[in-house]
Parts: sequence; structure tokens; C-alpha cells
Amino acid sequence: MTMSRQGVQPTEVIDRAAKLRFRWNGKRFSGFEGDTIASALAASGEQIFSRSMKYHRPRGILTADYWDPNLMVQVGDDPNVRAGHRLLESGMDVRSQNAWPSLNRDIKAANSLLGRFLTPGFYYKTFMRPRWLWPTYERVLATFAPGGKIDLDTSHAYHDKRYTHPDVVVAGAGPAGIEAALAASSAGASVMLVSHEHSVGGHLRYSSDAADQAALVELRTALDASDVEVLTDSTVTGRYEDNWLGIVQRNHPIAVERLIKARAKTLVAAPGLIERPYVFEGNDRPGVITSGAARRLVNLWGVKPGERAVVFSANAEGDAAVADLERVGTEIAAVIDGRTGGHISSTRGSSRAVDAVVADGASIDADLLVVAAGWTAPTSLLNMAGDRPVYDPAAARFFPSDPPSNVLATGGLAGDADLDGLRQHGAATGRLAAARAAAVRHRLQARTARALPVEGDEPAWAPDERAPLGRDPHPELYRADTHGMVDMSEDISSKDLVAAAHEGYDSVELAKRYTTATMGPSQGKLETVNTVAAIAEARGETISEVGTTVWRPPYAPLTLGALAGRMFEPVRVSSIHPWHEANNVSVIQAGQWLRPDHYGDPAAEVRNVRRNVGLIDVTPLGKLDLRGPDVPKLLSLLYVNKWMRLGIGRVRYGMMCAEDGVVLDDGVTGRLGEDHYMMSTTSSGAGGVWEWVENWLQTERPDWQVHVTPVTTAYASINVAGPKSRELMGRVCEGVDLDAEAFPYMTVRQATVAGVAGCFMWRIGFTGELSFELHVPAGHGLHVWEALMDAGSDLGVAPFGLEGQRIMRLEKGHFIVGQDTDGLTLGPSTGLGSLIKLDKDDFAGKPELAWAADRSLPMVVAIQPDDPGVVPQEAAQIVRGDTNEILGRITSSRYSPTLNRSICLGQVEPDLAAGGTKVTVLLESGERIGATVIDHHAHFDPAGERLRG
Amino acid sequence: MAAIGGRLRRRPPRYSAAALAWKGLRGESWPRVWRDCDLKRSYDAVVIGGGVHGLATAYYLARDHGMTDVAVLDKAYLGSGGSGRNTAIVRSNYLTPEGVAFYDRSVHLYEQMAVELNINVMFSQRGHLTLAHSDASLRTMHWRAEVNKLGGVNSSVIGPDEIKKECPSLDTSDHPRYPIQGALYHPPGGVVRHDAVVWGYARAADHMGVEMHQKTEVTDIVCEGGDGPDGKGAGGRVTGVRTNRGDISTPIVINCTAGWASLISTMAGVRLPITTHPLQAAVTEPVKMFLPTVVVSGSLHVYVSQTDRGELVFGASVDPYANYSVRGSLEFTEGLAGHVLELMPGVSRMRILRQWSGLCDMTPDYSPVMGFTPVDGFLVDVGWGTYGFKAAPVSGEQMAEAAATGRTPKLIEAFALSRFDNGELVGEKGAASVGH
Amino acid sequence: MLLVPCPNCGPRNSTDLRYGGESHARPDPNTASPSEWRAYLYLRDNPAGWLRENWYCASGCRRWFSIERNTATNEFRDPPLPGDKRGGAA
Repeated sequence: MTMSRQGVQPTEVIDRAAKLRFRWNGKRFSGFEGDTIASALAASGEQIFSRSMKYHRPRGILTADYWDPNLMVQVGDDPNVRAGHRLLESGMDVRSQNAWPSLNRDIKAANSLLGRFLTPGFYYKTFMRPRWLWPTYERVLATFAPGGKIDLDTSHAYHDKRYTHPDVVVAGAGPAGIEAALAASSAGASVMLVSHEHSVGGHLRYSSDAADQAALVELRTALDASDVEVLTDSTVTGRYEDNWLGIVQRNHPIAVERLIKARAKTLVAAPGLIERPYVFEGNDRPGVITSGAARRLVNLWGVKPGERAVVFSANAEGDAAVADLERVGTEIAAVIDGRTGGHISSTRGSSRAVDAVVADGASIDADLLVVAAGWTAPTSLLNMAGDRPVYDPAAARFFPSDPPSNVLATGGLAGDADLDGLRQHGAATGRLAAARAAAVRHRLQARTARALPVEGDEPAWAPDERAPLGRDPHPELYRADTHGMVDMSEDISSKDLVAAAHEGYDSVELAKRYTTATMGPSQGKLETVNTVAAIAEARGETISEVGTTVWRPPYAPLTLGALAGRMFEPVRVSSIHPWHEANNVSVIQAGQWLRPDHYGDPAAEVRNVRRNVGLIDVTPLGKLDLRGPDVPKLLSLLYVNKWMRLGIGRVRYGMMCAEDGVVLDDGVTGRLGEDHYMMSTTSSGAGGVWEWVENWLQTERPDWQVHVTPVTTAYASINVAGPKSRELMGRVCEGVDLDAEAFPYMTVRQATVAGVAGCFMWRIGFTGELSFELHVPAGHGLHVWEALMDAGSDLGVAPFGLEGQRIMRLEKGHFIVGQDTDGLTLGPSTGLGSLIKLDKDDFAGKPELAWAADRSLPMVVAIQPDDPGVVPQEAAQIVRGDTNEILGRITSSRYSPTLNRSICLGQVEPDLAAGGTKVTVLLESGERIGATVIDHHAHFDPAGERLRG
Repeated sequence: MAAIGGRLRRRPPRYSAAALAWKGLRGESWPRVWRDCDLKRSYDAVVIGGGVHGLATAYYLARDHGMTDVAVLDKAYLGSGGSGRNTAIVRSNYLTPEGVAFYDRSVHLYEQMAVELNINVMFSQRGHLTLAHSDASLRTMHWRAEVNKLGGVNSSVIGPDEIKKECPSLDTSDHPRYPIQGALYHPPGGVVRHDAVVWGYARAADHMGVEMHQKTEVTDIVCEGGDGPDGKGAGGRVTGVRTNRGDISTPIVINCTAGWASLISTMAGVRLPITTHPLQAAVTEPVKMFLPTVVVSGSLHVYVSQTDRGELVFGASVDPYANYSVRGSLEFTEGLAGHVLELMPGVSRMRILRQWSGLCDMTPDYSPVMGFTPVDGFLVDVGWGTYGFKAAPVSGEQMAEAAATGRTPKLIEAFALSRFDNGELVGEKGAASVGH
Repeated sequence: MLLVPCPNCGPRNSTDLRYGGESHARPDPNTASPSEWRAYLYLRDNPAGWLRENWYCASGCRRWFSIERNTATNEFRDPPLPGDKRGGAA
């Protein structure tokens, strides 16, 4: 078989004036604009495009379109490019993928000789012993992995996504699809028409029939004049819940691929039919092509597929191929008519080309065999919508059964008719789709805009009154009297499938999994029905009895880049962040927040806070503004402790537990006014606690009058800590008496700070020092911070970061929810069991906490290693002596610059929780060290004198 | 094959390179991998669910306890549920000592499996990396590493440079939004050919006389003496099951289903702490090998490995809402792709070929529910969340022991249904939310 | 992408909402037995069919609401959107 470019065809899509140069396996080639990579290579006489996966058999053109399994190539750093579909571009570097050292001489082709041993699943039956050799075997097997190569330096490049809400999406732009789009558009619907191919028209594109060409021109003209949005080289890849559609656009001018997400009110599935290869001996020899391939080669690209052809035809498409071939000078050696009992058995020739075809018992010299054996209905989108298509033996293909009423099929998927019949069905489908879309649109609007009246009554759900398409009889042609390849990309023959069925893998799914048939790049588009037929034959059943497999999304593969789109993960910083950045900050990621970890020397920051005064930016601290007369009840319900008598200006610490008694969050809440409270939460708990509060208010206590506003980012929060903090605050605050008696520990005041009104501050502190936690309207955060730094320069004011704060909180023994507690830590285990007031009528988790009071629980305790210089790493396990029995773990550990020793918090078994208990800590190095549980959580200033100062 | 206590009904056709060659030369075909049997009216035990758990349970009942009058019932085909839909990752680097001991036994059984079952399950112990992108998750990795080491499991925390050495395709720079800070490295972890495990257990159990019944759907469980309607519920006992192919009497019914565990248990009047969520997975087109290890990122909700066929296989966390449909979603593949490209920007041009989903029975503490129930003779091996495949061998072994001896083996004591009544949950929650 | 009919905002993509699980009444915390309380905490009906469940309109009105959904077909009741659904596999 030698293909070659012929004279100009009236239907061709190439621009012979625009010559494009490219490389194929390093050699120079050329083609024309409008060529696919494959058509350009075929026109240049190339016959072999790839090697098969297992046997490395040479493979040539089979279908000459997107689904052709033999035309997978590498283009630059783009692996697995469909050469039967991808348009040629100037300068392309195209390479074959699955051959070594070269496409023409492939060493692994020797595997063909081993075919009888490489039966399906052969790898399951060998390489079991010796076990230590398996990794070596595996490496060898892995060299058979097909496909191209990725370049790890490939950049993600530009990818964007588009959202759209059309009334009607038509998947497939053949004559029925175009008519559907036009009719829906005329009926007032917004319509998107998605063409998998580079231009609309479906099979009319490569028909040389004058009436077909006239219809194509007419349809394209009508489309141009319509409001239909036409996407070419694009595919509806999936239909998901409520007609949420994924559409991949491969010809976007900028993006490599673009993902379009469409919420279609109705979906019209009009993908046409896919021509099914026929199974016989030698059906994978280069030179055996489908009738569609022949017609596309001739009519779209002016390529003569061979010199002397046998055509096996069981339908009109095959007959039309005969005419096309004759027109470009291919000699027709024989036409074997599959409708009247004619049959083909095999091809003969080298592994590289057909020399002869055995048909009707005779051998006919030919270099080309064109096969028109029938159709596969690509029911993918219907499957995804929950439909189970049904097989019709008279028409030899599957048909839709009962798709949901917002998914409508038309065109070849729905049935057969002449061109006018298909167009009429398409138009009727478009009108129905538009009518149903109007009803959906009306109801969506009515349910969305509660306050806005929607005009008119909801349109009735339009009944399906389309005249159904007919079904042309077609012979059931799946396999000839010989065995051949069923799955070209996986090298699976009908013999393999029969053997698998006899071995007990006799349902389609089992056989698929066992042989890997249909698992390759075309995902069964060409192989599924032949696979089912082979299983049916082996079982002595019909195709209907065996059933089909479920087609899963995507309909056509799409890149990870398109799916990923652009990265939209926000970065959160406080309004003070620019100052941190200008001052040598080292940041730490805390969820989405970037927070100051330290400014060079956290130990020095700690010493400065303990000695002078320090500032820390604690903006991410969760803050909920609570207003209303029932706030105390809410607090009593959510915290384990009591809240009914919190005075105005007072602040209280609270612990929250979930309904299972597990510690959920903690923080302080202050009363700012009669019915006005401010709740603080942990930084990481800010979102969850808000939802928790809303859940209780809305579902369990809807009668309570409480209004919740999350104000976390409405305020910049600064903790001013250290013995000189009062003096510093005095220099910037107005309208508040900072004296220890007027503004004592655990109270809250509102004030004007550095000229900024509307600030509030509480006298609390995680660090254990005299401190003021200042909450400033967010826009003024930077100003107030700078004012504090200026005002305190003579006091030794310095910033400190999260690390310094963690050291100081550990010195004080404050636990962190989620670090020192875990998903099973019950309230009493924190050591704050006395907070839990079981005499309250109700609060979250009360029953569990009541029962927990009688149980001995693991406890959070403070621990000091006996060697003060050793800091066990966090997560070091506490074990029993020299055994591996786990008795607890270190949850927090640091070296304390204040105490000049290592300090820890940990969780231990109940019998180890008493102060003075000696424990053994297993270090990461494997060394075991002694440590002692101390009798209170605070390693430093347990009486809290500094704090109250 | 050690047939301890199990009677070998017939000589198994051994798989080997020599047998392959012999049959190849003679053009002989292989016999059926398991028999097609008529459904009998009574069995010593009935296993509901022909996935890896059910088949392993049946296999160990026969091998270890001589119970061969056992039927495994599946409403579809063997391995049609989670067994054929998972991403086939096996590991034992769990967080709790109970979890570590249990899964370590499972890894051990997987290591023996190819030889013992005489089928190559292709256990590829290529190493397993669990990435940490924050100091909090790094702390959890250290915690797991320490507990793992105490349990005798090879597991340690490694830094970005070592990660790069093990897996050069990962972006270990500080460019990503959440840079990789370290990883829990677990060299014995890897992937298995999941279907082969299904077929291996089925074939080996068949050889000992266990019957596999496909397309056999259980429609009811017959009980007597229970406190609920029809004698079901606490205090009662099982006497049989009804199926679409007829009724069976049996004193022991073991519920080894996933996705349908609640519905099957309801048939016996037993309520479970389970919510069913789909878990989705996807596979790309093949490319030449470039990803040597299994890579998991809990923070980015993704796990990925490359099959011997060259495809990348991905999974993520379960779908957010309870659901029995396995249709899959676009947002799953979008999220997946975004996260994978954060880890490996170089795979941007790889194409997703297929996505699918399976049903996962999620429990409140990310641990299974195994053993006895308040209904005598009704045992459960359920609640396997997203981690059932890797536990199949040990679950089968332990469930078989429970069913045959009537006592709960020590290895699964922590996973008893009764823990939800007495409030003593297992502490895997923190580590296992995306625990592959 | 499932459309969830928020009673305030109308049908919205499910990713705009947070799933709240099965709706169950909270037992009286002062009289519940351990078994009753833990059944409330842990045990679920988990039907393959109609289920009353909670959703939180996290990106919209921030309201919790309860609604019936068929867990096999993902239909919502009262009233459904036109364009019926099918259960099962795909």
C-alpha cells in the first residue's frame, strides 16, 4: 500500500498554496494547511505510524480520525497526540512513540514470535518465584508501557476556564446536530453547538455526493446567520448531575486547552456513529482501513489510500467508498458485499503491508482492504445521564432506551433516515430541547428570585412528539471465520477474549479487566462492541444477553492542565504584613494565612517580652461579634463553663466541646455592652466555630435572639505583652484608664488608640506577661503598629512572632487545641475539668462529659526532661521502660530561654498523670531518656503574678 | 500451597512459566479459574459480598478452619465493587498501635500472596511518600513514624532533598503555594494488581470447595428470636438468607459488603455507624515511566502512582455528600488536576482517560467495624471507608477466625461494633482523612 | 455538579454548600441513656433512597436547612427541577 496525494478534490479542506514543513522522527516532511499530521504523512507515502503495545507489530492508518488507535504520536513535549485529528503546524517535531530503536526496526517485534505464550493474563501466571526477582521482572514489564514521554520541565502554561449557562447544548455537529441547534435557536433558546471535528458538517464533510455538499453549504450558511455559538475542535467530555457539562476546547487561541463548564438546561446528544472495525486474521496489517478512513483520506485531503483495493461493504458508506476510490484512481480488485453473504477471511502479506485479501474463499491481490462492517453508537453521554442503551440485533447496534427528559438524542445515535429525515428529526429535537429549556429556565428563575415576580406561568413540560427515526437493517458483522485483533492499542485478539471467557472471565467486565481490552486510549470507542460480541460468542449467548459495559467520562481525554485551570488559592495576610516584610520577617504558613514566625532570633524575642515589651500580630485570631439578649444563653450552651453572669467589661476563658465531648475549640469572650459580646476563637477554628454557632442557633434554638457577625478580618489584632506594656499603651491610648485596678486582668475596654477610634482591648495574654490584646479596625492596623513601635522605642519594644509566642505559651503550659489535644481528647483530659459545669441544664456534649467524669482518661500534662539540655521532638513517644508499649506522647516541646531548660506538654495514660511521675521518652534517635511530669501545666510563674500585674 | 485443615477437592492447575510454555506449545487452554455451581439449599456459612474481603474470608475459613461448605454471594460479578475500583495502594504506616499492628499483618500477607495463592498479584513495594505541607502535618508524620517504628514498621520522616532523590518529578522547591516541607517515607508501601487479588482468593478458595455465586443478590436475612420485627434485631440469631436464586439456610452470615453494608445489616435488624459516600478515581493515558513511588498528599487531597502500564492513577477524598450513585463529577477531576500540578507541574500535558467511582462506607473514627453483632451468627466486616483493599488479607484471616471459633481475635478487638455503644473510638481520624 | 435547592438562594452548585448529614432529633441530654446518646452521635439510617438531611448554604445565605434527597438518584423533593434523573451507574 502506498498512499499518495492526488489532484484537487472539490470537498478537500487543505490549502495547497500553504505548504507546512515539519519533522517526523527527525526527517523533513511537508504537508498543507488543513492536513492532519497523519494525512500529511500518508500523502508523503508513510505507511507505519506506530508499533503495537505487546507485540510491537507495525501499525498504519485504521480510521484516520481522532479515535484511530494506531496514530498516537509525540509532538514536542506533548505525548499521545492523535495524529489522525491534530492539525499540522509548521515546524512540528513529530515522533513515533512505541518503538525502539526505530519505527522501522523495532527489537521488541520479536515478541510476535512469543504470541502463543503471551496469552491474556500471562503475567498473572508467572514470575511468582523467586519472590526477590519480581522487582527485576517488574522493571522489564514496565519497559513495555506504551505512550509518549513527558518532559518534567514542561510548564503548566496558560490555562483558563469558562463558565456558561446556555439553554441548549448540542453535542455533535453533523446535519442532525446543526438542525437541532438552528431550530432551538429559532425558538428563542441560547444555543451552543459543539463540534468534535475541526469544522461542522459531520459525515457530509467527506461526502462527494452533490446533494450532500449542497446541504453542507446550506447548513453552514444558516449557522453563520444564526445566534448559535459554534465551538469547533471541541468535545462535550462529560454530562454530570443536572446537566452540568464539561466541554474541552482544543483550538483556543491562547490556552493549550480550555475547559468550559456549561449548565445546560437541555442537552442534545448528536455524536453520530463511529465506524466499527471488523475482526479477522490480519485485520491489523497496515493497508486495512475503515470505509470512513478511505473517504476522509480521499475527500478531505486528496490522498489516494492505495493502488489496488478490495472493499468489503455491508452498508451505503462502503458503497460510497468504492466510488471515492475509483475517482482517485484506485483500482477496485473486488467488492465483497457483506449484505448478501460475501465474506472476507484474512489478509496476507508481510507484517508491514497487505499483499492479498482472502475473500469468498479466493485470494485477491491487493494492497488495500477497505472495510465497512457496521457502526458503534457512542452512547457515552446517555450512559453518564443514567441511560442503559439496548441492543437491536436487526440494526446491529445499540440504541438509547430511556434517557432523562432533559437529555435528547438525535442523528445516528437515535436511528436511521435519509439526509432529509435526519435533518427533520434534528430540527424537531431542537424545538423540543428549546421548549423544555424554557420550562427549566422559568422554574430556576422562580425558585431563585423569591422577591422578584417571574412573569407568566411555568410552561408545560413539552411532550416528546417527534416522529421516531427508523432503523436500517444491518448484518451483525463482528468477527469473520478467523480470529483477529479486537483491541489494536492493547493487542488483544478475539482468540484472547474467547480464551479468557473459557477460563471463567466470562462477563464483559471480568474479561475486560483480565485482558485489558477497551482499556486503551480510545476507551472502547472502536473495541467495545467487538469485545462484547467475542464474549457472547464464547458463551453461546446473544449480545443482548451479555450486555454492554458502562462508558465512563470523559468522552474524549483532556489534559490535566485544562482541568486544573489557574491556581486560585488565596493568600491571607494582615494589614500589618508590609511592616513585617520590611523588617526581616520569617513567615510561616498557617492555613491560608502567612504569619510572622520570627524576626531572626525567637529566643531573643522571648527574653525581650519577659524583660521589656513586645508586639505580636495576631490578626488571624477568630472573632465573632455577638449581639442580642440571648447571647449569654448561647455561650452557656456552647462553652462547658458558665456565662449567665458575665458583667459588662468582663472577659472569660471558655472551652468548647463537641457533642461527643471532644475538645473543639477554646478562647475568650468578653462583654462589651448590655447585649454586645465579642467571642474569640483559635485562628484555625475561626471558620468552623462560626458554622457551629450558626448551626445551634438556626436548628436547635431558632427562637433565641442572637445576631452573629464574623469580624476576624474586620480588625487587625495586636498583642502588646511584657512588663512595660502598660507604660507603652499609656502613651498611645486615649479615653481609658489603664491602671491595674481600673482595668484589671480579664476585662475588656473600648478606646481610641493612636488616634484610631473604635478599638477595643482585653487584658489577657497567652504569653503569661502583663498584656493588652488590641483589636483595631483593620485599615488602621499598620498605623497603630507603627505608632506602638515609635512610642516604645525607648522601652525596648520589639516585635515577636508565632515561634516566640509558642515558646511562651508552653512556658505557661497553655495547650493548643489540635496540637496538644487530638480527635479523641475529651474535655476533662485537658486538665481543665473543673471548668465543666455539669449542673447547667444543657450544653454541647454534656452527657458525654458527665459520663467522662467517672472514667479515667489520658491527660494533658506538663513534662520536663531530666536532662534540661535535651528537647524531645514533638511526637516523641512515651513508653514503658525498655518495652515498645506506648503510654503517651510529647505533644509540644521547646527549649525555654526563660528557664534555660527543655519543657514539654504531653498526653499520658491516666496513671502517669500525677505530678512527680517519672516517664521514659523515646527520642527519634532511638535513645530513651527520663522525664518527670510536673504537677501543674505552667513551667513558669505558675501563680500567674506577672500576668495580673 | 499449605492447605491447613482445608481439603483439596481437586488438584489445582498450577500457574508457572513452565506451565505457560507447555500450554502455549500444545495450544491448550486453561481450565476455569473457579467453578460455576448450582446454589445449594444450605451452607455452613454464607459470605455476602464477592470482593476481596468476602473472598479472603472464605479462603481463610477453608484454609485455616476446615470450613469449606461456604458460599460467597455477589449480586454482580466477583470484584465488581470497591475491589476493582480502588487505587490498589498497600501500606501499614498508620497512626494508632492498633492500626499499625493490623495493617502490618496485612502487608505481610500481601508479601506472601503471590507464592501462596499461586498467582502473580504484582505487589510492587516501590515505596510510599506521604507529603507534609505544613508544620502541623509534619508533626503528624513524626507521630506516625514514631508509632510505626515501635510497631516494627519501616517508616521515617524525610526532608525535601531526600524526597527529590526518591521521586525526582516532585516539585520540592518553595515555589508552590504550599511547599513540600517533608514526608513520611514508608519503603514497604506500594501497589498491587487489585483484580489479581480477587481472582487469586476466588481460585484458591474454589480449589478447597468454597462456592462462588455471581449474580446472586441477597434480598433478606432470616432471623429468629430478636427484639425487632420478624425475629430480627438484638438477641436473635440468623437462620438463613433469601436470594434472587432461592433461599439458603445457614447459621453464619458474614456481611463483607462495601457501599451496601448498611442495607444488608438492616436486613438483620442491625444499625451501623456508617454513611456511604462515593470515592472517585481517575487514570491518565500511559506515558513512559517517570514516577517511581506512590505519592500521597493529605493537605492537597490527592494520591497518585504510575502503573506498570504507564498510566497515572489518582484518587482523592470521598465526595462531600452521602450518595449511592457512582456517576462521578467534573469538580473531582478539576480539583485532582489542580493538586497534582501543584506537586508535579511537568504533567500538565497528560490527559485524563477515564474517571470512575466506588462506594465507601465511612465511619466516625475512620476505622472499620469488624466481628460480632447483637444478632447471633451475623458478623460484619464493614465500614472500610477508603482503606479496605489494603486490609483485605488480614481482615479475611481475622474474620474467618471469629466466625469459626466464635471468639474475637485480639487483632480486631479495637474494631468491634460495640465501641460505638461504649464511646471508645479508635484514633485514626487525624491521619486517615485522605489516608492512602 | 449537583444543584441544591436552597430555600433562600434557589438552586446552587453543591460546592457552594456544606453537607450536614442526616437529620436526627437531639435526645434530651439530661435523660438520654448512653446507648440513646451514642446512637444519636454515631448510628445512621444511611438509606439508598429518600433521606432527610441538612445542608449549610456556606457561600450564599449562610442558612442551615433540611431537605429530602434521594441518595440513589440525587433528586430533591418539593418540588423537583424538571428533567428527571436516573439512578445507577455510569
